Amino acid sequence: MNKISIIGLNDIKTELVKEIMDLGVVEISSQDSKLTDPEWINYVKKDGNENEVLNLDMKISNLNEVLTSLEKYDTRKRPLFSTRKAISSDEFDEAVLNNNSHVNENVSTVLELNKSFRELCSEENKLEAVILSLKPWVKYTIPLNMTETKYTSIFIGAIPSIADIEKLKAEMSQEIGKFYMNLIESDKDQFYFSFICLKDEKEDVYDLLKKYGFSPILFKDIEGTAAENILKYENYLKDISVKKEEIENKLTELVIFKEEIQLFYDHIIIERDKNKILNNLLKTDTTFYIEGWIPEAKKESVKVVLDEYQCWYDIKQPEEGEEFPVLMKNNSFVQPFESITELYSLPSPSNIDPTIFMTPFYILFFGLMLADVGYGAIMSILCFLVLKKYKPEGGLQKLLKVFFYCGISTAFWGLMFGSVLGDAIQAAAKLLFNSDFIIKPLWLNPMEDPMTLLIFSFVFGVIHLFTGMAVNAYMLVRDGKKLDAVFDIGFWYGFIIGIALWLFGNIIIPGSNLVGKWMTIVFAIGLVLTQGRAKTNVASKLISGVLSLYGITGYLSDILSYSRLLALGLATGVVSSVVSILGSMGGRNVLGILLFAVAMAVGHSFNFAINALGAFVHAARLQYVEFFGKFYEGGGEAFNPLVKNTKYYKIIKEDF
Amino acid sequence: MNILTNGNFLAILGASVAALAGIGSAIGVGIAGSAASGVVAEDPKKFGSTLILQALPGTQGIYGLLIAFIILNKIGLLGGSMAELSAAQGGYFLAASLPIGIVGIISAIHQGKVAASGIMLVGKRPEEIAKAMVYAAMVETYAVLALLISFLMINGIAI
Repeated sequence: MNKISIIGLNDIKTELVKEIMDLGVVEISSQDSKLTDPEWINYVKKDGNENEVLNLDMKISNLNEVLTSLEKYDTRKRPLFSTRKAISSDEFDEAVLNNNSHVNENVSTVLELNKSFRELCSEENKLEAVILSLKPWVKYTIPLNMTETKYTSIFIGAIPSIADIEKLKAEMSQEIGKFYMNLIESDKDQFYFSFICLKDEKEDVYDLLKKYGFSPILFKDIEGTAAENILKYENYLKDISVKKEEIENKLTELVIFKEEIQLFYDHIIIERDKNKILNNLLKTDTTFYIEGWIPEAKKESVKVVLDEYQCWYDIKQPEEGEEFPVLMKNNSFVQPFESITELYSLPSPSNIDPTIFMTPFYILFFGLMLADVGYGAIMSILCFLVLKKYKPEGGLQKLLKVFFYCGISTAFWGLMFGSVLGDAIQAAAKLLFNSDFIIKPLWLNPMEDPMTLLIFSFVFGVIHLFTGMAVNAYMLVRDGKKLDAVFDIGFWYGFIIGIALWLFGNIIIPGSNLVGKWMTIVFAIGLVLTQGRAKTNVASKLISGVLSLYGITGYLSDILSYSRLLALGLATGVVSSVVSILGSMGGRNVLGILLFAVAMAVGHSFNFAINALGAFVHAARLQYVEFFGKFYEGGGEAFNPLVKNTKYYKIIKEDF
Repeated sequence: MNILTNGNFLAILGASVAALAGIGSAIGVGIAGSAASGVVAEDPKKFGSTLILQALPGTQGIYGLLIAFIILNKIGLLGGSMAELSAAQGGYFLAASLPIGIVGIISAIHQGKVAASGIMLVGKRPEEIAKAMVYAAMVETYAVLALLISFLMINGIAI
């Protein structure tokens, strides 16, 4: 990564930013710190165009709304994976220019339609609420706006259903002379009553009713009876739904313009980004200043452009200890696995990209944990087809490639362990032809010989850990700490190998346990003598040295952690055989065979899903915890160049 | 005859104990599921990623099933003709089922809690799902170890 500084004249600024964006290899970093630097502050001001950015952001949110609403009415079949359409930059610019006016028109039409649609919806809700409140009064035949006659008062209201209505009636007839009360409707909460009484006695009636929890109901601005009004509002509702349908039809007609609007959306995104990046520029009255990062390999292409625009520029290595953005650089095989590293954290600038060391182990471990020819083949073939057919980009593409390679490894280990969709084929042969046909594993059957595989899991683990330690040693040597590499890595190698030989050496080479014993002792002494070297006095040097031997427990737990390679591999196999046994229970008849087919389809889908997830997570864990723990230090910032960050169209710059 | 000295009974009891790991998974998946619903209520698009995290504490139940199945298969219960086991042999099966039975329950519950927090993490920062998954997998390690030890014990029992 190189640091680049550019100074140019203001009148070429917009053009140059556009060119840089086309190249897509320069990260323009924020220069806010220079604005407080006394050396700079007298000469420069912050560039930027906040209003324009705000304006464009608003347009983007409008376009977003338009596209989401059109998406709803787009009945065309959608592809499984949406990918960006390729378009040449000339075509893109031309399309933007040609469609500009009528896209704007369509956008405002859609926005307008959306607005009226929302208004209709809220009107609809309001009417529905009114109808609901009128419903109990359907049988009440007096117009709702009629609240009195010359001598009487007319009112309606609700009484909670827990009130004792008989008692109320008795009390009413006792205390009020002339009145009329009528139960209109009742539901599980309330009774709905209408009352007529003399105007003079209205207060008394109210007081009495209140004791029973009466609450009067008034309908404002409603004339005529409840039934009439309900009818009227229901007609309104019908009108509204017709209008809504009309709007929906219009929107459906506008769906054909979706692609144009998408293109325009991408155009506005580009414009917004170009304006936004100006915030990171500094300016004087006539010049501008850009500072940023550029990958070493892309230097030349940028130089050509800068020369063309007659800018002053300087490209140099970052200074010692300076933080710079990280761009991982790997060959095309390893590259997809960068996504696994990214999920952990990017390497810090002083660290090393671990992807290339991690890749073979990730593939190996994933395969060991899923280990099935059928699952592996299905996984690889599916990923391959999706990659070929839909050509996804970015993270999805990387992930599919990871699974493609892991699928091959899964199939390989399935072959080694003799597992093809578990034991589905054997079970099918047994069920249909009563044959005892078996698929022989090329290496071993983990169900019958788990100890061997357990030992190999540990061996794989030790190789993995030693690789991690070797990378650490490499970095120490690179930084000129050769002795540290010998003491901290070399001695541990010797110590661990020594212990392993001492304990298990005799199984492989008789007599080697003696070698192991002496190796252990020698390297243990070495560790005791060297591990306390940071301390100043002799006693604490020795104590730290002895305590460091306790670090062996860390290595032990790291190594034991690899037993999951066996355990998860077994899980796949055993669940498969459970499926086979369940499926075979129906016996050899039509129903039984049907049951077998269904059990196979459901059971293996489930087993594949859960164990592929397990293999993915645990293979990652072995990298993140055991492997990265030995040397890796994350925390890098991703290299984030100024590019055309479009959503729908992939703009290809044609070569001249 | 006293049933506790019946080897076949003890072996089947062992299979049952192993399958009890499902209790933990049920609780763990339940805890994670309620957290997931909360996150999805805010943003329905997170269904996929939260579902993955919710599934993680479910594996202990599978491990338990696996051990139970191996025991039943080994004593011939599934084949139809059960072997005559001595009380000691039956006891071995029971003892061998304890690691996955006990560790399975407890680890699944705790994994469920970690998964639930992971789901909250995904709610705020969807790009960090891998970290949430690794945290949950850290807990699962012990269930894997228990599964392994149960398996090796059962594999070593001679009948």
